[in-house]
Amino acid sequence: MKKFLLSSALAVASAGMAFADTYRPECFAPAPDTSTISYDAKEGPYKLAFVNGFAGNDWRIQAIQSAKAWAARPENVDKIDEFTVVSVGNDSAAQIAAIDNFIAAGFDAVTFIAVNPTAFEPVIRRAERAGTILVPFDNVLDTDKVVQVNESQLALGTLKAQTVMDILGGEAEKILMVNGLPGNATDRDRRLGMMSVLENVDGLEIVEVVGNWDTGTSQKVVADALAAHGEFDAVVSQHGSAGSINAMQAAGHPIVPMGVDGENGVRMLMSELGIPGVSASQAPAMSAIALEAAVALLEGNELPQTIFLPIPQVTSDALEAGANYFPDLPKSFNTGTGYAECFAPFTPEELLGQSPDNT
Amino acid sequence: MVRPRGKSHMLDYMRSNRREVIAGVVLIVLLATYIGTHPRGASTYVMTIWANQCLILGLAACAQFFAVVVRGIDLSVGAVMALTNCIGSYLLDGSAFGMAFGMVAVVAAGALCGLLNGLIIVFGRIQPIVVTLATASIFIGLALLLRPTPGGAVNYDLADGATLDVLGIPTALIITGLVVFAFWLPFRRTGLGLGLYALGSSEQAAFQSGIDTRFIRLAAFTLAGLFGGLAGLFYSFVTTTGDAGIAAGFTLNSIAAVVLGGVLLRGGVGTLVGALAGAFILKTIASLMFFSGIPSLAQPLFEGLILAIAIAIGGADVLRARNKLEVFA
Repeated sequence: MKKFLLSSALAVASAGMAFADTYRPECFAPAPDTSTISYDAKEGPYKLAFVNGFAGNDWRIQAIQSAKAWAARPENVDKIDEFTVVSVGNDSAAQIAAIDNFIAAGFDAVTFIAVNPTAFEPVIRRAERAGTILVPFDNVLDTDKVVQVNESQLALGTLKAQTVMDILGGEAEKILMVNGLPGNATDRDRRLGMMSVLENVDGLEIVEVVGNWDTGTSQKVVADALAAHGEFDAVVSQHGSAGSINAMQAAGHPIVPMGVDGENGVRMLMSELGIPGVSASQAPAMSAIALEAAVALLEGNELPQTIFLPIPQVTSDALEAGANYFPDLPKSFNTGTGYAECFAPFTPEELLGQSPDNT
Repeated sequence: MVRPRGKSHMLDYMRSNRREVIAGVVLIVLLATYIGTHPRGASTYVMTIWANQCLILGLAACAQFFAVVVRGIDLSVGAVMALTNCIGSYLLDGSAFGMAFGMVAVVAAGALCGLLNGLIIVFGRIQPIVVTLATASIFIGLALLLRPTPGGAVNYDLADGATLDVLGIPTALIITGLVVFAFWLPFRRTGLGLGLYALGSSEQAAFQSGIDTRFIRLAAFTLAGLFGGLAGLFYSFVTTTGDAGIAAGFTLNSIAAVVLGGVLLRGGVGTLVGALAGAFILKTIASLMFFSGIPSLAQPLFEGLILAIAIAIGGADVLRARNKLEVFA
C-alpha cells in the first residue's frame, strides 16, 4: 500500500512537471523545485474549517478575521456549505484532535497554522483516506504530500536588503540588521536572504542585533547598537520595525533608507518622517488565500505543492493614506490585508466587522 | 469492612465515594453533549479522537494524584512529560526490540525524575512545591537540549497501535481500564496504597503507627514521575514527534483535573479514578467547542466555572459536618 501511494504520488508529481502550468500561477506561484498536486474534483458547496493554534496576538486575530471576511464575500458564499474557525492553543495534540474531528465530521477541507511542523504525518494519512484536503499555511510542515501556502521568507529578506542597497546606489559602509526570534526557521531564512545581498557589497560592515520580532525589544537593542556603533547608512528589520525607528529618532540618528515590516504604525512613521525604503511582511490575509487554495483543489485544479505567494510590499514613494496604510486605525493593525494578484484585498471595514471568536 | 447488602449497599457505596460519583455524572452528561452535537455521532473514530485527548491529560492527572494524596504537589508533571516525550522521539523508532526497550526507557526516565523529586523532598526536607518548581526547570532544560526545535520520529505502526482502536474500542480507553482495574484497584489494598492515605491524612499519626513515612513519600513521588513518563509516552504516540514546549499547559491542567475529580489538595482524600474522571471532564469540555458553538476564547471561562462548581459541591461537606471542628481537622 505504501509503495502504491508513493508511486501514485510520483505520477502526480511528474505529470505536474510536464504541464508546468498550474492554476492561476500569478497568485499561487510555485516555490523553486516544488512538485504539483491535484485531486479529483468534488461537487460544491463545501464544508471548510480553519484550525488555528495560538490566538493571542494581533497577527493571528487578523488572520482569523481575514478568513471570515473571505467566507463572507459574495463570490464565495455560494461555494460554502459550512465554515468554522477554532483556536486550540499551543498544544499540537489538541490541534491534531481538532483536525481529526473535522475529518470525522466529513469536512471537505481544513486549513491550519501548525503548532508543531513535524507532528502531522499520521493525520495527513487519515485525511487522505477520508478524502479531506489539508492546506497548512504560515507555519508550514515538513512534508511534500499536501499543498502548503506561505511567502518565501528568503525572498522577503532579499527584498528589504536589495531595496535599501539600490537606494544607496550599491555602496555602503555600515548597515544595521535587526533579526527575529533566534533558533527559528523563519528567522534563519529571512536573515539568509538579507545576507545574500549584503555579503556582496564591498567593504560593508554588517552589525546584527536580535529584536525578537518585537517592537519593545527592537527599540532597546537598536538604541544599544546606535550607542556602540554611531551612525549607520541603512537599517533592515525583520519585524517590530517601529521600535527601530523610535530608537533612531530618540538618538537623533539621521533619516536613512530602511527595509521594514508591514504594520500600520510603521508605515505611518515612514510617511511622517519621509523614510526611504520598503515596507513588506508576512500578510495575515494568507489565511484567506489558504481557503481559496483549498476551494481551487476541491474544484479539481492543480496547484504547486509549495506555494510562495507574491509578497505584498510598498515602497515609501507609493505610500498612500487610506489605500496601503490607515492613519485612523491602531498602529498594530497589519497592512497585509490581501494579495492583489489573487483577489481584491480586504478593506479594513471588511476585516474589523469580523469577530475573532470561533464560529 | 462489612457492608450491608442490597439497595442500601449501592447507596452506601455512592455516599462513601460521593466525589467520584459526582465527577462521573458530570462526565457522562458532557460526553453525551459532545456526541450529541458531533455531526458524525458516536462512531469509533470520534470516540478514539476523544479518548486519546482524555488519556494524555488523564495520565498527567494520575501523576499529580500521587503527589497530592500525600499532601504534596508536583509542579514538574508537564516538564517530565516534555522530557520523556523528547527522549521518546529518539527511541521509539527502529527494530521491534529497540522500540520495546525505548518504551521502557521512556517510562523509566519519568520514574527517575520522580525519584529525584522524592529524594530532594525527603532528604533535603524541602517543600514539594519548591522542589518540583526547581526540577521542572531542569527537566525542561534537558528536554530543550535534546530537542531545541520540535522534531524526531515515532514509528507509525506503533503509534497507530496505541492511538487507534481494537475491535472498535479505542485503545486509549483500554489503557484507561488497565490503569484502573489492573493497577489501581489491587494497588489500593496494598500496604503502600494504604500508606499513601495514612501519610496524606496525618503524617504524625502515620509515623507513630510505625509507617515508614520517608519510604511512602519517596514511592509516591516516584509513582508520580512514572505516570508523568507514561503521559509523555502516550503524547509521543499521538503527535509522533518530540516537542520540549508542551510542559506549561499540562502541569496546571493536571492540578485542575485532580481537584475536579474530588482529590483534596490537603491530602489523604480522593482516588485515582476520580483524578482520571476530572481529566476526562476537562478534555471533554475542550472537545465541546468544535461543534457546539462555544467560542474557544471563552473556553477557559467555562473550564473555570465548572471547576468552581465542582469544588463548591465538594465543599458542601462543610454544611453536613456534625461538628464544625471536623472541617478543619
